[in-house]
Amino acid sequence: MEATNTTEITLKGRSVGSGVAIGKAVLLNSESKTVTPTSIKKSAVKKHKERFLKAKESLIEELQLMADELNDAGSAEIIDTQKQIIQDGEIEKSVFEIIERKLLSVDFAIYQTYCLFIERLKESGSELFRQRIVDLEDIRDRFISLVCNQQNKKSIKKGSLIVAREISPTDLVSYYEDGAIGLVMEKGGVTSHAAIIAKSLGIPCIVSAEKATKEVLNDKTVVLDAAEGILILNPSRKTISNYRKKAAKAAKKKKKKPDSFETSDGVPVKITANIEFEAEVPKIKEHGAQGIGLLRTESLLFGHRLRKSMEEQEAFYSTILKGTNGAVTIRLFDIGGDKTSGRTVKEGNPFLGWRGIRLLLDEKELLQNQLKAILKTAAKYPGQIRILVPMVSVINEVAEIKKELEEAKHKLNSEGIEFEENVPLGLMVEVPSVALSAHQFAKEVDFLSVGTNDLTQYTLAVDRGNERICNLFQHYHPSVLKLIKMTVKGAEKAGIDVSVCGELAGDEIGAACLIGLGIKELSMVPKSISGIGELLQSKTKADFEKLAKSALELSSSEELESVYEEWKK
Amino acid sequence: MIKKKVTIINSAGLHARPSASLVKLASKFKSDFFIHSYGYRVNGKSILGVMTLAAECGAELELEVDGPDEQDAMDAIVDLVENKFGMEDE
Repeated sequence: MEATNTTEITLKGRSVGSGVAIGKAVLLNSESKTVTPTSIKKSAVKKHKERFLKAKESLIEELQLMADELNDAGSAEIIDTQKQIIQDGEIEKSVFEIIERKLLSVDFAIYQTYCLFIERLKESGSELFRQRIVDLEDIRDRFISLVCNQQNKKSIKKGSLIVAREISPTDLVSYYEDGAIGLVMEKGGVTSHAAIIAKSLGIPCIVSAEKATKEVLNDKTVVLDAAEGILILNPSRKTISNYRKKAAKAAKKKKKKPDSFETSDGVPVKITANIEFEAEVPKIKEHGAQGIGLLRTESLLFGHRLRKSMEEQEAFYSTILKGTNGAVTIRLFDIGGDKTSGRTVKEGNPFLGWRGIRLLLDEKELLQNQLKAILKTAAKYPGQIRILVPMVSVINEVAEIKKELEEAKHKLNSEGIEFEENVPLGLMVEVPSVALSAHQFAKEVDFLSVGTNDLTQYTLAVDRGNERICNLFQHYHPSVLKLIKMTVKGAEKAGIDVSVCGELAGDEIGAACLIGLGIKELSMVPKSISGIGELLQSKTKADFEKLAKSALELSSSEELESVYEEWKK
Repeated sequence: MIKKKVTIINSAGLHARPSASLVKLASKFKSDFFIHSYGYRVNGKSILGVMTLAAECGAELELEVDGPDEQDAMDAIVDLVENKFGMEDE
């Protein structure tokens, strides 16, 4: 209604969580890969040369770690070749020459140098050699982003809204620590790693916002409404003030933190948090979580930190423990599937492939290192740590992991290092085979934890990351609920606890059913805790049980949604 | 300084991995090493230099080695080329 010089533009994306963010946009990695020449002062030459050397070192280090972990000769050889390309003396000579003589910035020097070689290969006209161009472009771009990151990393202001084609989880956390308040991604699904982390950090986020990096202008104020899945460019004053009010209201509501978690008739349910990064630790207390039900550890392996030493791992676990009251369930490295790292191999069916425990049992050094780090930390925090094993599918794996655990203790013992002897061991229930035979798996371990995302994926045979079919991914499919019920029964028989640490636990309808099915601990993103706490207090245990009972009889997710609306009244 | 002509006989030519082996071998010697091909002269100790020659199977190269261990270096390099870079044809 208002007359303004610029018109509001609304970009649509897919919503991740909720919340409103108003701030200045910071554009990252825009589409164009062309690097333009930037002049530098003579006094900056040394710094730019150092940046090149540092980036080179990181690239080599990354490749070295990858080579160490890949056992097959073929890939080791390819990596070796890449290393040689990066270390090529001619490259360094040319880059330094451009920086020194032409006084141009390091990113451009790298760009121009590689382009020269790429051009020459293009000229050759040989198909075989043209394929190498892709490798060179890849190395060039990684090089450039490395030298640029070191330059850009600290430059965002508090209250910035990150707009990127794609962002890595580690970069996201680092921007969050620098004060980013929202994230807009062009790529990525709702369940992409960065989206999950944004949700867990409590940053409003939308993904699949096409053309965002083309439309958004750097440093212009934008409004992000994550619940609606929209980004508003050139917002009018009125729009901004409306959203300010909305944000203030939400913030007030968020402050309310439940003092206890029990049903209206006093049956307690433990509510814990899923976290992955140190930056999330303050959130745990803020939201009143009674411990950490799922500590993901894969971030220890991301990016340049492909492998952390035992001491570094220990330091990470200790920081988390220090900031937490109650138990912390540490999940062993869950690599493979969509979580890639240096040790990932190309597979026809990654989700049915070499992932979780399957990979760990083949990568003994990695596994032993982690087990030892956990056992050592547990000695400092007695009774507070539990170990969770991902992606178990057959009983034999349980025996093997127990053997490995004993081996780790044995090693620590012979090294004279203090460790905790009795750290509870639990299994993730993510595969129907484990749920169906839960009573047998339960006999072997101290607790079970249901990972509902993967369990749903494997039960319905739907890859949740596949945009074409993700509509088939039904969160409350009765078959999944039936498998969870079997898990609860199996655990009860063996006298052990079951928790749920998947997305379902932090979802209103999902949590209501889980409580009704007899789950005694729900672990979720910290942000969801207060909502689930309120839900818990709103009904009696019998009410929840009634809902769960009828949910098991339904035939689809949609049916449950309408039944839930009725039940809630 | 010594020079010698060789022909690339492995079917894939001097692509990435053969180039890598060549550069690795040449770098073990103190002598300078250059390759001439169709008017280009590149540093034989630079993988990108060697790769960008885009020498396919059948390409003729002139090797130029100059330094204290030039004969040993030349022998080793020629040997590598003639042995198809130690790998079967891919």
